[in-house]
Amino acid sequence: MKWHQLYQAATLDTKADALFEHERSLSRLDGWFLVQESRMRSAALYQNLGPELAAAEMLLRVVAELPLTIHDAAVFAGTQRDAFARTYALINPTFRVDSFEGYCDPLAVYNDIECNQEFTHERIEAARAFFSQTPYITQLKEVYQSAENDTGEIAYFVEQVTGHTIADFRPILRHGIVAEIARIEAMLQCESDAGKRQVYTAMRLSLEAAVKLAQRYGELARRLAATAPDQRAKELLLMAETLAQVPQHAARNLFEAMQSFIILWQVMCLEQSPNPYAFSAGNVDRIFEPYRAMDPSDRQTTAALFRHLLTFFNIGDRSWAISQNLMVGGRSAAGCDLTNETTYAVLDAFFRSNYPQPILSVKLHTGTPQALHQEFGKFLFTPGVLTPSFFNDNSMFEVLGKAGVAGADVEDYAIAGCQEPLIMGKDNANTTNSWLNLAKILELTLADGRSTLTGKQIGLGYAGLGLDPADPLHVLTHIEAAFYEHLEHFVARMVTAANGCSRALSNLPVPFLSALMGGIDSGIDMRDCRRQGTRYHGSGCLIHGLSVVADSFAAIRALRAARPGDAGRLLAALRQDFAGDEPLRQFLACAPKYGNNLPAVDDIACELATRVSALVARQQNYLGNPFRPDFSSPSTHLLYGYWVGATPDGRHAREMLGYGLDPLCGEATSGLGFRTLSIQKLPFHDMSGGYASHFGVDPKHFPQATLEEKGAAFNECVIKPLFFPPHDAASPFYLYVNVNTPETLRKVLANPKKYAPNGIYIMRIHGTFVNFLDLSPAIQNDIIKRLDPESTRP
Amino acid sequence: MKKLKVIQKGWHLGQDGPGHRLVYHLQGCNLVCPWCANPEAVAVNGALMIRRDRLLSEVCPHGAIHDQALDRSVCSSCEARECVTRYPNEGIRLSCTEHAVSELMDEVRAARHLFHSGGGVTLSGGEPTLQFAALGALLEALKAEGVDTAIETNGTHPDLPRLFPLIDTLMLDLKHYDDAKARATVGHGNTTVLANLARAAAEHGRVWLRITLIPGFNSSPADLAQFVSLVSTLPQQHLSVELLAYHEYGRVKWEQCGMNYNMNVAAMPTPNVVEYERQFRAAGINVINT
Repeated sequence: MKWHQLYQAATLDTKADALFEHERSLSRLDGWFLVQESRMRSAALYQNLGPELAAAEMLLRVVAELPLTIHDAAVFAGTQRDAFARTYALINPTFRVDSFEGYCDPLAVYNDIECNQEFTHERIEAARAFFSQTPYITQLKEVYQSAENDTGEIAYFVEQVTGHTIADFRPILRHGIVAEIARIEAMLQCESDAGKRQVYTAMRLSLEAAVKLAQRYGELARRLAATAPDQRAKELLLMAETLAQVPQHAARNLFEAMQSFIILWQVMCLEQSPNPYAFSAGNVDRIFEPYRAMDPSDRQTTAALFRHLLTFFNIGDRSWAISQNLMVGGRSAAGCDLTNETTYAVLDAFFRSNYPQPILSVKLHTGTPQALHQEFGKFLFTPGVLTPSFFNDNSMFEVLGKAGVAGADVEDYAIAGCQEPLIMGKDNANTTNSWLNLAKILELTLADGRSTLTGKQIGLGYAGLGLDPADPLHVLTHIEAAFYEHLEHFVARMVTAANGCSRALSNLPVPFLSALMGGIDSGIDMRDCRRQGTRYHGSGCLIHGLSVVADSFAAIRALRAARPGDAGRLLAALRQDFAGDEPLRQFLACAPKYGNNLPAVDDIACELATRVSALVARQQNYLGNPFRPDFSSPSTHLLYGYWVGATPDGRHAREMLGYGLDPLCGEATSGLGFRTLSIQKLPFHDMSGGYASHFGVDPKHFPQATLEEKGAAFNECVIKPLFFPPHDAASPFYLYVNVNTPETLRKVLANPKKYAPNGIYIMRIHGTFVNFLDLSPAIQNDIIKRLDPESTRP
Repeated sequence: MKKLKVIQKGWHLGQDGPGHRLVYHLQGCNLVCPWCANPEAVAVNGALMIRRDRLLSEVCPHGAIHDQALDRSVCSSCEARECVTRYPNEGIRLSCTEHAVSELMDEVRAARHLFHSGGGVTLSGGEPTLQFAALGALLEALKAEGVDTAIETNGTHPDLPRLFPLIDTLMLDLKHYDDAKARATVGHGNTTVLANLARAAAEHGRVWLRITLIPGFNSSPADLAQFVSLVSTLPQQHLSVELLAYHEYGRVKWEQCGMNYNMNVAAMPTPNVVEYERQFRAAGINVINT
C-alpha cells in the first residue's frame, strides 16, 4: 500500500490535530527518568568499557527497555517525549526573574519530576544520589565552585552545551544505516588507533540502536493492527512495513523519509536525555525535496504529511522540547535560489498547524522569489500566528567564509537553537558555552571592583586598573581603557570555566550523534576534548549589554565635557541607584542614545562591538579553536539586567539590558529608518557566532489589501532596506519580528478566550516561538515592552 | 554655512510624499492655526516644552520651576536657558536643534538605500519656507545628488515659485478659500496662497493640494462647494486633492508648550469625507488618499 493511496490530505490534517491535542493533554514527562534509571542500572555492567562503548551499550539498552506506544492518530511511530524533562524555565509560569542564579545545577532536573505512587520520592532521590557521584557531575560542580565569585552576580556565566547541533541525516535517509555501518566497518579495517577503533565500534552499536527502535515500533504496529479496525489496521501495517525499511535501508518516498528522520531524531535525543535542547534539522525543504519528488502527491497532501513531522516536535502540555529549528529557503554557494516545492509545502504545514514548536527560520537572499515573500504575509499579519525568523544568505556566506568555513560547506549552514549559524553535520560550536555581561563589568569597573547591589568585591579595584582612587575625574577620563582591561580579566576567567564545563561534559560521549557529525570520517567522538571530531569546532560566547555600555560611555563623555566637576557625583549616584540625584540621572538620560543614527554614540557601539568581538575571538577553547562572538541574549537581558546596578546611561539598577544588539527599550525613538541606520554600522563580519535583533512592528503600517501584498510590502519596507543595502559594508544577517501592538497583547492577556480560543497565541521570543499564554508574567511583559513601537515607526 | 532649525526628523511611508521618506520638520511658522498638530514649531526660535512628571526645579537657576510647573514669565527674559544648555533633562527641552545643510546631507547620503518605493526627503514644518535661504540650499544639494524632494507648505511665501524646480512633490495646505475667514482664524490671508497655487497648478509637475476639514471653519457642505469651485478652475493635469480629517494629535503638545488648546469640535457636525471626495471627483478633480 502506498501512503498517498491510504491517506487523503483531510485525514492527515485531522490526525495531526488529534495528535497535537493528545500531546498537549500530557502534564507528566517521565520517560527521561526511566532513561536515567536504565543508565543507572547498567552503569556497573559497562564500567570496564571505554566511555564511548559504554554510552553506546547504554543507548542500546534504553531503546530496548523503553515502554513504547503508538497513538491511534499516529501516522508515524516515534516521540521525543522520553528525552525531555519539564525544565525550560521561561515557559514555566512560576518563573521569576529574581530567582535566576549564576549557577547551573545539573541535578536540578530531579526537581522537575513530581512524586507519585510510581515515581516515588525514594526512587527519585536514589537517581539523584547516583548521578551526583558521576565524574560529569563532580567535575562540573568543581568548575562552578571555582567561578562562583564571578558568576554569582553574573559578570559572566558558563555552561556545558548539550543539544545545539545540526546533525546531517541525509546520508542515512539516502542510503540507510546499513550503508553507514559498512562505512564504519571499512574504517575499522584500516584503523590502528585503539581509541578510534573503540569510537567506531561505539558508533556502529549506537546506529544499531536506531534499527532496534524501529524494529520494536514495527512489532508494536503489527500487534496493534491485529485488533484494529480495517482502515487503522492498514495504516498500522503501512507503518510496520515502513519501519522494516527505514532507517535501516534507504528511504524510497517522502513517507519513508519522514519516518526515518523521526526515528533518528528520537535516538539522537534519547542519547542526550534529559537535556537535548535546541537540536535543529537544517534546511528541511532541501532534505525532503528529493523524496517529495518521488511521490505523486500534491502540495496540500504533502503539507498535511509534514504536519505530522511538526507535531513530533511538540512535547507535553507546554511543548517542552524548545528551540528546535527547521529552515527553508536560501541560495547555493553559486548564488542560485534553492527554494523548491517542498519549501511551500512546509510553510503550509507550519501555518495550518501554528504549534509552539518547532521553530521556523527562513533564509533570504537578493534572488528570493517574490512568491516566497508573499507567502510570509499570512504568517506576519495574522495575529497569534507564528512568524519565521529571517536570515540573510548574502551576508551570512561572507561572515562564515571569514570565519573559515569552506565555500562548498557554506550553503549547508543552518541555525542551531535560536540564531547561531552552524554547518550541518560538520560543526560542533558549543554555542551557549559562555555568557559575558559587559554591563556588569562596567558597573564593577566604575565601583572599584565592588558590586553596587551587594557591596561584594568581585572585580579588580581602581588601583589594579590604573585608575586613581582619589580622583573621580581620572576614573571617568580613563574609564573606557579600564573597562577593556577589566574585560580581559573576566574573559580569561570565563574561558577557563567554560572549557572546564566542556571537559566535564566530555565524560558523556555521544557516539550516535557523532556518527551524524562527521565521526565516521574522523573516528573521534564530537565531545572529545583532546582530539577534534568534527570538521568545524568552536565555543560560543553570548555577549550582553552592548547598548547599555555604549550609551553609558556616551553619557560619561557628555558629563566630562559639560560638567567635569560632577565626576565624583556620578560615581556616588551610581552606588545609590541615583537616589536623591534625579537631576544627574536625567542629564545622563538625555545624552545621545544608540539606535537613533547619532554618530556620537553609534560609533562607540561599533567600536565596542568590534573590540569585544576581537577579544572573544582571540580566546581558545579546549581544542585551541576560537570562541565565537554572539551578540544575543535569549531573555537573559532580563535575567542579567537584574544583577546589574545603576549605569551611567541613566538606567536604574536591576532594569533590563538591551536585547541582543538592539537599542535599549524606549531609547530609539526616531523610527525604523534611523534604527536601521544605527544597526547597519555594526561589524557584522565579526559576529561569527550570530546575534539577536528584534523589530516589533505595528500592523497598521501595512494597509495593503491582501496578505500576499502585505508580505511583499514587508520585504520592501523592512527586509530589503535592512538586509540588502547597496553599499559594500557587511549587512545585518538576522531578524525576528512580532507584528503586533502592546494594546493587542494586553487584550489577549485580559481575555484569552476571545483572542485565543484554543489556548494558543504564538509570539516570538528571541529565537523561538512561544505560546504567549504559557509564559511567566515577567516574560510576557518583556515581550510587550520590547515591541517598542516608537523604534520601528516606518 | 547655512543652518536649519529642525524640530523633528523621522520617517514616513507614503504619507508626506511618495514612498518611504526621511522627513525633516522645520522650526517656525507664520500662521497660528488653532488645530495645529505641531504647535511647538510656531515660534521662530523654538519653544520650551515640558513634561510635568519629570520637571525638576534644580535645572533652572532662575527659579522658574516650582511645584512641577514652569513660570514662563521668567523664561521670556532668560537668554542663558541653562535648563536646556547646561542641565539637559527630561522635564524641559527646546523644540528645535540647529543643523548645517552639510550635516543633513551626510545623513541623507547614509540613508539613501532606505528611500524605497519612490521615496526621498520631505521638508515640512512648521512652515519650511520661513527658513527660505537654507531651505533652498538644502533642496539644491538634494537635487544635485538626485534625491527625490517634497515640501509641505502653507503657500504663503511669495517666492515659493522660485523653489518649484527643486521640488518633485509640492504639498500645499489650503486653509480656506476665503481670504477674510483665513485671516481671521489662522492670522494670514490667502491671496498669496491662491496665487502660488494657481502658478503651481500651471507650472509644477506634481501638486498635492491638502485641505484639512475643520468643523466649524471650512467643512460645511457650502464650504465644500466653494472649494470644489475654486479648484475646478485650476489646470488639473498635475494637480491632486487630498482631504484630511481633523484630529487632536497636537493637544498634548499645546499643553507642553504652555498654551491652551481651544479647539472644541464635539458639538460640530463631522464632515463626511468620503462624500466630499465624491464631489471633488464629480468635478473632474483627482483625489488621493495617502
